[in-house]
Amino acid sequence: MRLFKSSGGAQVSVTPEVVRPRQTVTATVIAAKAIDKVSAATVEWGYTNFYRYRWAGRADSAAVQMNDSWWMIGEVGTDAGSEKDTEDWVGVTKVELPVAGGEFSGGSSSFTVPSWAPGSSEVIARWSARLTIERGGRDVDARGDFAVVIGSDNIQVTDEPQQRTGGDGETDVDIVLPSLTYRAGETIYGSIVLTPHADMSDGEIVIYWGHRLISHPLVRTPAIGGGGKSGPTIKLGKGIPLRSGTPVTVPFAVPLPEDAPPTAEAVHSSLVWFLQATLHYSKWTQGIEQVRRRIAVVNAQ
Amino acid sequence: MTAVPPLDPNEPPPPQRGLTREERGRDVSEAQAEAEAETSKVKQYLGAMSPKFVLSQADGYPVVIKQFLQFCLILIYPAWVFGVLVGAAIHLLFYVTIYPVLWLLFWPVRAWQKKNNPEEYEATRQKYAKKK
Repeated sequence: MRLFKSSGGAQVSVTPEVVRPRQTVTATVIAAKAIDKVSAATVEWGYTNFYRYRWAGRADSAAVQMNDSWWMIGEVGTDAGSEKDTEDWVGVTKVELPVAGGEFSGGSSSFTVPSWAPGSSEVIARWSARLTIERGGRDVDARGDFAVVIGSDNIQVTDEPQQRTGGDGETDVDIVLPSLTYRAGETIYGSIVLTPHADMSDGEIVIYWGHRLISHPLVRTPAIGGGGKSGPTIKLGKGIPLRSGTPVTVPFAVPLPEDAPPTAEAVHSSLVWFLQATLHYSKWTQGIEQVRRRIAVVNAQ
Repeated sequence: MTAVPPLDPNEPPPPQRGLTREERGRDVSEAQAEAEAETSKVKQYLGAMSPKFVLSQADGYPVVIKQFLQFCLILIYPAWVFGVLVGAAIHLLFYVTIYPVLWLLFWPVRAWQKKNNPEEYEATRQKYAKKK
């Protein structure tokens, strides 16, 4: 029966499977058997970008602000679940494959990964070559994936000033790093310099790594909450005397995970890495000091 | 944080990225933005009571959900108007009862500020004069 005769489909394989920016990959398309009635066959190189967006109405509308009014305290927030994960295709190059007399039997295409390519990870981007065969009958779609790994020479890092995320600044907490770029699996050796401006109670200091996905879609409303992950909290010292005019230096070693996703900037989202240090004063009325320092993480030698 | 290294002449330019929530500014419907842009408080309250404003609260929702929400908003419209009127009444009540008391109570503070920090005092006055 003609109606149920399958077109056989096609397979896309990409070699090599792991590349760096500025290197070339080749996709080989193999049709199980010749595909007929073909009008066009294209391979599009690009990546699937993961991000979060707000699907439920305007974020700052009067109706949403009502959830935050005092007479709604104790009620279940109705804004929960208004943001969700999604993905969009970002095409870089489109290549036409040769079709002879309406029949397609295979082909290949090469692609040089651009220098600005975001690194592959399940957090932000999946690179692939997508095959689309337009034909009289069901179109054929296939995809071959490859991974882009980022080396320290693929990104240029500019030092961003350290950010204070908590506390009154009665003690300056400076995260001192020998370098700003680290490889996945590497241990970050650095030190924290504590400079009290007044006599404070003894301090306890902890540090951890974290990364965060910042969504900035072209069309949809970006989500405020994003995917993120932080590492285990590492205790660096307890009972550190904090007296005015006597700075204290505390060394630290923070191991990064082996499968750390690389720092990246894509069209719809960006992945940022940071180290966050928190100083707790032993006298609880004095509170905490918290700072965040941006770093860059790569995953190739 | 990461600046992209110089481009190869034979590679495609990087695609333009979108804006984050902070870069986009307030995310409100057109009707609400119009009502908020009004300078007079009375007009702001009238704007918040207009059916256009109430229906625009469902803006940005996917189709079907939006129409269902607008149906619900029509049902609660009398309650909405009542709510806005109560809000306006409380607002007015505050300005005729508590505000004059506070104004009188903080007179010495303002007088001291006017005498000792005249520039700062004038700047603050200008700031609130513009808001009205």
